[in-house]
Amino acid sequence: MTARVATASWADLRTGRAAGVIGIVLGILAGWVALPPISTRNLVLPVVIGVAGIAAGAWATTRGEKRVGIGAIVASVAGIVVAIFATRASVGNLELVMSWGALTAASLVYATPLTFAAIGGMFSERSGVVNIGLEGMMLIGAFFGAWGADTTDSWIGGLLIALVAGAALALVHAFFAIHLRADQIVSGTAVNFLALGITGYLYINIYGDRGTPPDLPQIPDVNLSRLQDVFFFGDAFGSLNLMIWLSIATVALSYIAMFKTPAGLRIRSVGEHPKAADTVGIPVYRTRYVAVVVSGMLAALGGTFLSIGFNHSFTENMTAGRGFIALAALIFGGWRPVGAFAAALLFGFSSALAQRLGLVESWQSYQLLFQTLPYVLTLIAVAGVIGRSIPPAAVGRPYVK
Amino acid sequence: MADEPILELRSITKRFPGIVANDGIDFDLRRGEAHALLGENGAGKSTLMNVVFGLYQPDEGEIRVKGEPAAMKSPRDAINHGIGMVHQHFMLVPVMTIAENIALANAPTHAGVLLDMDAAEKRVAELSRTFHFALDPRARIENITVGQQQRVEILKALDRNADILILDEPTAVLTPQEARELFAILETLKREGISIIFISHKLNEVLEIADRISVLRRGKLIETVPREGATEAGLARMMVGREVLLRVEKAPPEPGETLLEIDGLNVRDDRGLPAVRDVSLTVRAGEIVGIAGVDGNGQTELIDALSGLRRSESGRIVLAGRDITNRDARYVLDAGYGHVPEDRQRRGLVLDFSLAENIALHDYAEPPDSRFGWLFPGRLIARARRLLQEFDVRGGGPRTRAAALSGGNQQKVVLAREIGRDPRVLLAAQPTRGLDVGAIEFVHRRLVEERDEGRAILLVSLELEEILSLADRILVIYEGRIVGEFGPDVSEEELGIAMTGGGRETEAA
Amino acid sequence: MTEGQPPEAPPEEVPAPEDTQYTPSIAARLAFAQRAGGVITPLLTAVFAFFVGGIVVLVTTGKNPLTTYRAIFDGTGLNWLFPWVSGAERTTAALNLQQTLLLTVPLILTGLAVAFAFRCGLFNIGGQGQYTVGAVSAVIAGAYVSTAHLPHVVLAIVVATLAGAAWAGIAGLLKATVGAHEVITTIMLNWIAFWTASWLFGIGGPLQVSGAGNESVPASETVKETAKLPVFWGDPFLQGLHIGFFVAIGALVVYWIILNRTTLGYGVRAVGFNPDAARYGGIPVARNYFLAMAISGGFAGLAGAMDVLGWEFRLDQTSIQASQIGFIGIAVALLGRNSAVGVFFSALLFGALLNGTSTTNLDPSIFRPELAQNLTLIIQGLVVLFVGADVLILYLWSLRRKVRRQARPADAA
Repeated sequence: MTARVATASWADLRTGRAAGVIGIVLGILAGWVALPPISTRNLVLPVVIGVAGIAAGAWATTRGEKRVGIGAIVASVAGIVVAIFATRASVGNLELVMSWGALTAASLVYATPLTFAAIGGMFSERSGVVNIGLEGMMLIGAFFGAWGADTTDSWIGGLLIALVAGAALALVHAFFAIHLRADQIVSGTAVNFLALGITGYLYINIYGDRGTPPDLPQIPDVNLSRLQDVFFFGDAFGSLNLMIWLSIATVALSYIAMFKTPAGLRIRSVGEHPKAADTVGIPVYRTRYVAVVVSGMLAALGGTFLSIGFNHSFTENMTAGRGFIALAALIFGGWRPVGAFAAALLFGFSSALAQRLGLVESWQSYQLLFQTLPYVLTLIAVAGVIGRSIPPAAVGRPYVK
Repeated sequence: MADEPILELRSITKRFPGIVANDGIDFDLRRGEAHALLGENGAGKSTLMNVVFGLYQPDEGEIRVKGEPAAMKSPRDAINHGIGMVHQHFMLVPVMTIAENIALANAPTHAGVLLDMDAAEKRVAELSRTFHFALDPRARIENITVGQQQRVEILKALDRNADILILDEPTAVLTPQEARELFAILETLKREGISIIFISHKLNEVLEIADRISVLRRGKLIETVPREGATEAGLARMMVGREVLLRVEKAPPEPGETLLEIDGLNVRDDRGLPAVRDVSLTVRAGEIVGIAGVDGNGQTELIDALSGLRRSESGRIVLAGRDITNRDARYVLDAGYGHVPEDRQRRGLVLDFSLAENIALHDYAEPPDSRFGWLFPGRLIARARRLLQEFDVRGGGPRTRAAALSGGNQQKVVLAREIGRDPRVLLAAQPTRGLDVGAIEFVHRRLVEERDEGRAILLVSLELEEILSLADRILVIYEGRIVGEFGPDVSEEELGIAMTGGGRETEAA
Repeated sequence: MTEGQPPEAPPEEVPAPEDTQYTPSIAARLAFAQRAGGVITPLLTAVFAFFVGGIVVLVTTGKNPLTTYRAIFDGTGLNWLFPWVSGAERTTAALNLQQTLLLTVPLILTGLAVAFAFRCGLFNIGGQGQYTVGAVSAVIAGAYVSTAHLPHVVLAIVVATLAGAAWAGIAGLLKATVGAHEVITTIMLNWIAFWTASWLFGIGGPLQVSGAGNESVPASETVKETAKLPVFWGDPFLQGLHIGFFVAIGALVVYWIILNRTTLGYGVRAVGFNPDAARYGGIPVARNYFLAMAISGGFAGLAGAMDVLGWEFRLDQTSIQASQIGFIGIAVALLGRNSAVGVFFSALLFGALLNGTSTTNLDPSIFRPELAQNLTLIIQGLVVLFVGADVLILYLWSLRRKVRRQARPADAA
């Protein structure tokens, strides 16, 4: 079945892993020194640090830690490339774009929908059901969040209605995938089509040419007044949306739920060896249904943030592939909440960076090209580093009683 | 011991599309006894026990536990009635620890919300001590031996307070030594008042451990007999319904030139650990060499390396004079190799292809089946028709989909394909797994015929009987090494000892 | 021993060595669906999807679904096929049919792309990206190269096909070497193509159309006259039907031939049905994955060329971003059960739907076109959903078996 890389000894693993992590840090450092606030103009320092990072990464791979090792090499090379570009740009432009506080805040903003969807995906996949339909569930959450907020005139109403919508769509996927044993990827793709069509249809039918009202109820920001003036932290965390804090809470809660409760143990067993779970008396179908519905609800939350938390409106197909990036974040993160969150942050960072590039006029056309960054990163991740990452053993296979 | 049976099955009938798996079966289990359920593959033993355990619902009939009628709608019901089942293929989650697997059923918690793994681990340690299981609660299932895994399964049942234990082919994956350990454990369990049902198709084991034996054949109960007075031959007759030739009749071998030579082969398994260690063997034309061993001792890796599907670290393989070491499957097949893989549905056949397409599986890219990439379906069909007739394949013609055939006929197709290519060396891995007696006889006879045609045949099997019946020379593989070579008259005991690494004899009888 | 063990029965006869349940590949499922359901089930699936769509129309707008569908049908031009239609009505129908067929051409090709990959057990969700890459390559070859008519067209087509093949080949290579799941990689490649193409032809982009007054036009150069595909039916100035139609028909034939008459096709099918057995048989599985993806991408890239050289003649940011041709190809392949004939009719159906619901063809007083377009998406989704479930088919299949079993006793092996 799945191949596992041999690890020689525990000691080797520890030093190899440590070297790999150091390599990744060095790689990031190599790029960072060329950026504000340090803004080295000379390439020597970044290159030296970068080479050290490559060396650490190479050493890690020889110790059997291929994942972090290759990650370190990639990070170091990327760091040197970043340094090259940074030293060519003017310091003024750099400072405008690389405002770390704003960047962090923006990264969290872009990461939040991904986090929700990725954690949702985790529940589904850990129970053994592939959920390609995260994109559709996010979109439906976005629409019904907006419509719900409009109809009930409160953002809480919007959230609740979005949760119901996400659950409903997830139920469709669950029914076809679990009960009818349809191919799960086909079913997920269908869900995406349906969501696109349904949200588009209802949007035009209800809001027509006007679009969603400009006074749509918004999910409030959380203003931490004490933090506002603190250097960096003020910009970064001072006034983040409530959903962003909720997403972090979700990460923590889902970790506990999945790994520290009996329910989580049971979900994982259903995803690894459903027959074993069945013989122990665990209801496989029901567990999978619940997991998929939860994934739909979480993805919908992510979509709701997009519409009434961030964009303040709904536009057709506004998720624009984020559901798939969330899936990639999940895989990147090894089907674990913290890992998925870290990956979501990384992707969020690249989106935030892409957006900020638009602040400099001469760089504006590159904005579009930069939009490919999350997808390229995912491709590299899925291909190189994570290619052999091990999913739950029974994922994607319908269970036949 | 109370007189009333602790478990009673009355007239149990279970049907599946096209087949009656259990037909009006009456069965009872007394307290503290070990009752064996005997029958060949497909007789309905596993189905019956799955009904008892709630995995299937009977179409007719009644189950009574401790005198009270009990409907088993799911394993939960069975467990609540004190029934535990140890399946042939373990129901354990490989990546989780022993404690986690036990906790799946009944997890101890802090305040009902958080998992209390410490308590779970303590419970495992406690039970393990009571029954002398020697298990480490923190060990991951994927890292412990098969014998230990089986004990974990039994532990699971005991943890749920089972007083009826069903074991499905428990010794299928054990060495004779481990089997003996298991029997000792079963005796302990019996003493503690636990009643045991024991599914098996192995006559000698059943005679050793069971108090009573029930024989099933084609879904019906033939007879229930006490151990006293039961004989192997008698039981076999009940199982099959006619006198069974326990051995194939064959002439003594006339071996010729060496067609297969393996020299100092070392192969690693999927985890990078050495699976085949310094193996050397030869097979000559006109002989059948059998490799006996418990599953998981390197047979799979050896076969893969020989077939060109796995890299070998060192050593040489020479087939009919050609060095095929570390060559791909294509090259090996072209060199005169035929391979009957052990899982015909997964590896032997493309079930959705027609029989003609399956027969062409190796050679479709060569003339006359094709030329310059262009396929000639007519030629595939013609050749297939010939071979299907020769091998007496029933159930369809060249255009029939392979999935429509029965297991026995499917295996005949695989044989037809491999033998039809006139290989110098033929490897047969578990060639009769899952087949009924008639098909087994066919396969065995055919293999001997091919041996007499001058082919070199390497037989790898987990069934000692099959090896003893067919092989001219028997090699025993243990932990990746060839630890013994025997003649066909060796006893099962000697083989069993060699299979567990004891008594390294190397002299052929 | 009963003959023909049904797939639904428990494998009593064949206990598996590992406890893994044998899950049929997508190729096997769709082949089973085709065998069991024939032509009826795709028809029924489509009808059922339309029925549900009709309910949606009724519930949300209160309009009569039948008049809506009628209005859509009138826009498709399929009524041209009816011999009793004549006169002015016939001419309008002819124009509409040309438009429908114009849309059918790329759908056939993207459908073939997805179908070919499915035959090898692969999910090519990247048809859209491969289409885009093909379109971009065709524009570049068409606009920046100067030669005579025939070689120019051939060059552009070849370049586009190869580009699409290469784009899909990336995913194929990743699958073949590190086993990366093609669903994720092709989806990522979709978006990379999306944004890269947007950038190329965007404002300030390297391939933006040049010339005074064009600075704020996010579009490409227009292809030269020598690269355009000749029109054979209808008026070239009114976007008549170009010879790409025959290319698409030819592609259907090529598809069938590759799969059923070549050794490559045999290998692809074997790997699609059972990669394990293929491996044991000596068939190079990884190589087939790569080739299947590449050929698949080639079809999609060809689709891009057909549109660019046939009627678009240039690409602009909006149309790149709005295009769904690659995705509809998924529905086409599934409804068509991966067969050449099936793909043709599915493509026709969806092409008709797209044309019939377009803003130019649908009378807004009967039904709003944008709504109708989204309705089409919903219908598409339903089709994919039902096809994926084989529900109808399993039901029909079990009916058929019951009838068969009564007519014939089981024989021995």
